[in-house]
Amino acid sequence: MRYSPGMEKLTVDTLRTLATAQGLELSDAELASLLPLVEAGKSGLAAVRDIQPETEPASQFRIL
Amino acid sequence: MRELARMIATKKVSPVEVVQAHLDRIAALDGKLRSYITVMGDSALAAAKAAEAAVQSGGTLGPLHGVPVGLKDLYCTKGVKTTGGSKLLADWVPEEDATVVARLAGAGAIPLGKLNMHEFAYGPEGLNPHYGTPWNPWDAGVHRICGGSSSGSGASVAAGICPGALGSDTGGSIRIPSSLCGLSGIKPTYGRVSRAGVLPLAWSMDHVGPMCRSAADCALMLAPMAGYDPRDPTTSVLPVPDYAAALTGQVKGLRIGLLRSFFLEGAGPAQRAAVEAAAKALEGQGASVEPVDLTKVSLAAAASHAVLAPEAYAYHEEWLKTRAAEYGADVRERLRVGAFVTGAEYLKGQRLRTTLRNEVDAALAKLDVLLAPSTAIEATAVGQNEVRIGSETFPVRASLIRFTRPFNLTGHPAASVPCGFTADGLPMGLQIIGRPFDEATVLRVADAYQRLTDWHTRRPAMAA
Repeated sequence: MRYSPGMEKLTVDTLRTLATAQGLELSDAELASLLPLVEAGKSGLAAVRDIQPETEPASQFRIL
Repeated sequence: MRELARMIATKKVSPVEVVQAHLDRIAALDGKLRSYITVMGDSALAAAKAAEAAVQSGGTLGPLHGVPVGLKDLYCTKGVKTTGGSKLLADWVPEEDATVVARLAGAGAIPLGKLNMHEFAYGPEGLNPHYGTPWNPWDAGVHRICGGSSSGSGASVAAGICPGALGSDTGGSIRIPSSLCGLSGIKPTYGRVSRAGVLPLAWSMDHVGPMCRSAADCALMLAPMAGYDPRDPTTSVLPVPDYAAALTGQVKGLRIGLLRSFFLEGAGPAQRAAVEAAAKALEGQGASVEPVDLTKVSLAAAASHAVLAPEAYAYHEEWLKTRAAEYGADVRERLRVGAFVTGAEYLKGQRLRTTLRNEVDAALAKLDVLLAPSTAIEATAVGQNEVRIGSETFPVRASLIRFTRPFNLTGHPAASVPCGFTADGLPMGLQIIGRPFDEATVLRVADAYQRLTDWHTRRPAMAA
């Protein structure tokens, strides 16, 4: 799932839409409490821009 | 544990006496400590009687014969409820033991009970709204956190109501309570010890390991736990070395890196001074010590969010939809965050892990171990959410997990051993990080340090 530019600023309403799509029914208070946590996580990841293109995802599922 | 095993094997003390003495201490102290969720008194005494008979008959004894151990309550135990520290599993009784529980029993250890923890291991403070938050034995007057998530393991071993315990570590949950409770604990390499039968928090970041009073005891307890397990496809087929034999007391010629930026520079002044003093002590024994900077390690928080949160959500998804009210408020909210991490973000987190792992591997290509503080702070009061480090204020949670989490992402083995006390008498931890599957060198350095110092021998007044 990628957010369109119009959705990049998360709100309680967009969070509710995303939650409902997954079958999570959350109250306004619960969504408002979650919003800064979700935003912090996304902005922390978005700020990382210098991953080398050849870097593959880590995989722990191998016999060493 | 080593001494106890030796005394049992030489008939100086009976396993029944040992188990009964621990049960008596639990009865006397655990009303305040709240370190146990379930005490397995009857089965422990029955096992102790069988162990006593085995000693009397002169048969071959395992390395932990008759020694009691505590099990964090996320290890499945056949016929004994396993709650995960949650109301959701308050009455769940597994049908088989976790692999490490069976292996410890095979080595002669006697499970004493199931230990309290942060609910579903999702919190570094060790809080628990359902079974009570364990009390850090190092302050009898103020209810301080033990660190988590293995808080019951930390409290029970520190208070001497359990000689050694199993913890688990997804972001620091063995090393943080070891640091805050004055214990020795090791998070082995990812793949060294089976996770089969252990309730997961995040499959790719979970590690299981021992928490004891010394590095030597950790070596004793880790040995039977380690090794390939067909029930856990992520375990390694590499042979398990003789950890006890690795404890030579020598560090001469070892190359040690002292992690400077992010780690030392982000720690409280007491923690920084204690770790620098530990490095000097090892240098004085012939190791070479040089400063090291890991420049990518600040990415760990973002990577951990991207990986841990959705893995935890995936495990709990159905319960979050049907039984959400049964979670504690903090864990429920933390778990829900994982619902909003996209697939692309998860893979970005996994790519960051590769970057981090490569950087740590590169540092360890030239060095044998790395040193860092285990935690930036000492144990705080229960309910305290912020702490001052230098002139700045930080969240307690982030200050606990900041230095341990990177090595859950990279999978490197990492131990925490006591390295001093604050002016208030609270323990501090030294973190020792090694090469993949080289727990032996990590334990060797930890043990050598403990032969130079007496921090690990000190006991809280509550344990008297």
